Amino acid sequence: MSYRNDNRVALENDEPRLEIREKVTGSAKYTTDYYLPNMLWACYIRCDFGDARLRSADVESARSIHDVLEVELEKKSARYHGDRIGYICAESRQALEQAIAALKMKFAASWPRTMLEEERTALEDLEPAENDVQAENVIDTCDLVVQGEFQTQVQTHCCLEPHSCVVHFRGDSAVAYGSTQSNVAFRDDLARELGLRPDQVEFHCEHVGGGFGSKFGMDNEGRLAAQISKKYQRPCRVVCNRKEEMLDTGNRPGSLQHMRIGLTRDGKIRGGKIATWGSVGPTGGGGGVSNPSRYDFGTIAKVHQDVHIDGGFPRAMRAPGHPQAMFAIELMMDQMAVEVNMDPLEFRQLNETSELRKEMLRVGAEQIGWSERQPNGLSPGPIKRGFGIGVADWGNRPGTAAIGVNVYRNGTVEVLSGAQDIGTGYRTMIGDVVRTYMGLPRNALVVKVGSSDLPPGPASGGSVTSRFTAPKAFLAAEKARNRILELVAKEWKLNDASGLNLEDGRIIGQDQSIQWKDACQLMTGDRIAILSDEDGAFGKDPTGSEAVQFAEVAVDVETGIIHVKKIVALQNVGLPVNRNTIENQICGAVIQGLSFCLFEERVLNNQTGTMVNANMDMYKIAGPVDVPEIVPIIWREQREVAVNSLGEPPVVPVPGAIATAVANAIGVQVRSMPLTPRKILTALSEKEAKS
Amino acid sequence: MNSFDYHVAEELSAALAEYGAGQATLKAGGMDVLDLIKERLIEPEVVLSIDRLDQLRYIREEQEAVRIGSLTTLADIGRSELLARKFNAFHSAAAHAATPQIRERATVGGNLCQRPRCWFFRNRELHCLKKGGATCFAVEGENRYHAIFGGGPCYIVHPSNIAPALIALDGSITIASVESGNREVKAEDFFVLPEDSLYAENILKEGEIILEISFPMAPLRSATIELREKQSFDWPLVLASVARLKKGWHVCLGAVAPIPWISQSAMDVLGNKEITLELATVAGEAAAIDADPLEENEYKVQLVKVAVRRALMAAAGLEVPSWN
Repeated sequence: MSYRNDNRVALENDEPRLEIREKVTGSAKYTTDYYLPNMLWACYIRCDFGDARLRSADVESARSIHDVLEVELEKKSARYHGDRIGYICAESRQALEQAIAALKMKFAASWPRTMLEEERTALEDLEPAENDVQAENVIDTCDLVVQGEFQTQVQTHCCLEPHSCVVHFRGDSAVAYGSTQSNVAFRDDLARELGLRPDQVEFHCEHVGGGFGSKFGMDNEGRLAAQISKKYQRPCRVVCNRKEEMLDTGNRPGSLQHMRIGLTRDGKIRGGKIATWGSVGPTGGGGGVSNPSRYDFGTIAKVHQDVHIDGGFPRAMRAPGHPQAMFAIELMMDQMAVEVNMDPLEFRQLNETSELRKEMLRVGAEQIGWSERQPNGLSPGPIKRGFGIGVADWGNRPGTAAIGVNVYRNGTVEVLSGAQDIGTGYRTMIGDVVRTYMGLPRNALVVKVGSSDLPPGPASGGSVTSRFTAPKAFLAAEKARNRILELVAKEWKLNDASGLNLEDGRIIGQDQSIQWKDACQLMTGDRIAILSDEDGAFGKDPTGSEAVQFAEVAVDVETGIIHVKKIVALQNVGLPVNRNTIENQICGAVIQGLSFCLFEERVLNNQTGTMVNANMDMYKIAGPVDVPEIVPIIWREQREVAVNSLGEPPVVPVPGAIATAVANAIGVQVRSMPLTPRKILTALSEKEAKS
Repeated sequence: MNSFDYHVAEELSAALAEYGAGQATLKAGGMDVLDLIKERLIEPEVVLSIDRLDQLRYIREEQEAVRIGSLTTLADIGRSELLARKFNAFHSAAAHAATPQIRERATVGGNLCQRPRCWFFRNRELHCLKKGGATCFAVEGENRYHAIFGGGPCYIVHPSNIAPALIALDGSITIASVESGNREVKAEDFFVLPEDSLYAENILKEGEIILEISFPMAPLRSATIELREKQSFDWPLVLASVARLKKGWHVCLGAVAPIPWISQSAMDVLGNKEITLELATVAGEAAAIDADPLEENEYKVQLVKVAVRRALMAAAGLEVPSWN
């Protein structure tokens, strides 16, 4: 039966995000919009190279610049371009910049470690996994063995709003503004740094211009702002410039993935060995790759090595470890399908672990026109057409959060959450849950998020914010509604409120009705205040945020230029609340995944370790013309389950879907991201040489 | 960014006088100069803005030439029906450069005079050959976007999108200064290789400003093909502008050499012949003959072949492969 694409959501909310007017007119205030009276400016002094030592710096000249208060060099050696070696504090941004220039720093640079493939331990020298022998035995008994090595590059977060903080320490209290994915953690970090209790710090983060995993806690910017503010008892502002943002606020680590997988002649994967390497900073870890995942790989012996590179440190980035893993896995799936002479879709169905995703695969294939897919490399003409598949899922359990709902005597309903809206549409989601459940129009509602004075919300990481807060919002809405219904029942001299309903702003009884506003006048106090930190009726576990994507690409085999024509993105979100914000998240993730697959790449100069493209022109990000037709499909209405995760899952399948589509188009796999014309042409000429 | 005085010129003569005095850095649309100041590659004491000199903003058709003022924006060119009709190679090079916002600010003069986009040159941290250092980092470093023709000792590629078309169309550039008045040079003589001038990309002397560019007459046919990684806001990997003038075909390449690169070898093949697919292919192959790629940019040789072939086909009205 043909699938009817219909993105109606369970709660029938089809309206734009709540803060649309503020965002479009520019009145929405971000951290960088706060300029406090008598404010100081501070910034870090940074290293120019990879592994380097400071030979000289004219500190006295820098200190002598008008309006410069402090220039401090705290260390002489640094391990990556952008590493912090000191700081400057001044009365103005201009003075900061002049002081940096006046330092005239000279470094002695050692030969840096910049290439993952050169620094890793060779495959044969890696410590074997505990079940290595078992996996080897499985491989030995397989009809076919397929192997391949795949590479992904370092991607930076590129938050449009840079990491930033404005702190005003006032002795026994402080007010602060920070761009963050966790109001609570940011406030707690600041309190510790300032020597205050958390309740003495008033923290605000009303809007965030992107975090993607790089904005937890007060970070280096908050620390410096707090130290300076405390020292001078004046407000202080620290805001990264674009270059600093690229160099020192984290990245998605690069990866190498070696897969050797055995399967039966009829296409069932039985097991194998997987080795992954992740490029991390000069010390520490965080380069993990979620390979294997999603498909049933049988018995796998997995080893991983974090490889130190003299570049900025990795951080969580939108589904850490996953998009890069699925790039390798989907290409491997296609390669195995070729070996057993099976359609890649059929091969996936056979080795899929999720029944739900099997159905999504069937529907997605229908939507993209999979039946038009030609065998690899056989579409006619210089512009080759190809189709590809990517899958993902995301699972979260319920978690801690609190939602407040105030109902005022004039009928206004205030929804309160201390969680932050990092651009995902969180305030819209939470507001729509409450007003829909209460049966009220949007204009009856005020939603306040992003302040430490509000009921605490979770850190927005791991796609938990909606998952954790929505059940509490349902319960708070239910309690608030019932309190008003009880007042009406009492006014109407009914035994209880069980026969009353609240619909379209009216409370309706058996033979009478009353407007919501009039009913609220029945309360004796200023407001009815509800605080909910328990899960309500909508807390039932959803299956997981399954994602399936199909890509259609056109590749110019004479130039190697890829044109992604269409991406069909099916996404299970549990209970869908607001269509616009869900579709926004899916489309945004698809664009970010496409940009990762085709364009983005941190480039470190092999001679000095300097990141040569620490800006937003030479670090290439997809622009409007690069964006394909995106068809977001919200997977079925599920009223019986909780709101589920959406932030990360739709970014995961994109690179795999595009890469397999490109391979289908040109008849050879390009196993290194980003898929640039250079790599496409090289792969094609190698293919030609072989044949 | 350092502090500087900002002067706005209201008259051309005053601008020439102040710029001629040698203290000011010139700004037209500001697209390039602002980047240079922000990265502290230059630290001017005075920035002289000439972007209000409307007398330098025109597209004028005369009997024997079309003249375009140096402050005409790329968007102005994109909107010109005259240029779209008669000078397609130039029109399309300007109309598709950068982004709509940038095209509204970027000027013809600025586009021709912009400094290279080489990522070693553009980073303050790297004291490269072009900035007075001892090393061209591209020789041993990340050189995927660098020159395959005319390189050494520095391997930048010239970043102008419109310069190859200007040269292919046999255009000229009029330069003015207080000291020597006005002079007109052929566009192909305007740009200089690093082996002749390491620290500048053109012949402009201190105090000289581009007044206008001009084309002697409309070509019989012309076209530009630009190959990029991204289709929004990107510089070309390779660009080819071709034009059939009375005496024969002109072919000029962009993004492959430190100057817009006239492909004599392709022109020798083409002469004044009618374009067929076979001839266009042979000319494309000929255009790549003397390429001398670095470690990571051999793919640009293939792109040269394709860009030249497709530009010739487009100019001749033959079908060119497209996405749609």
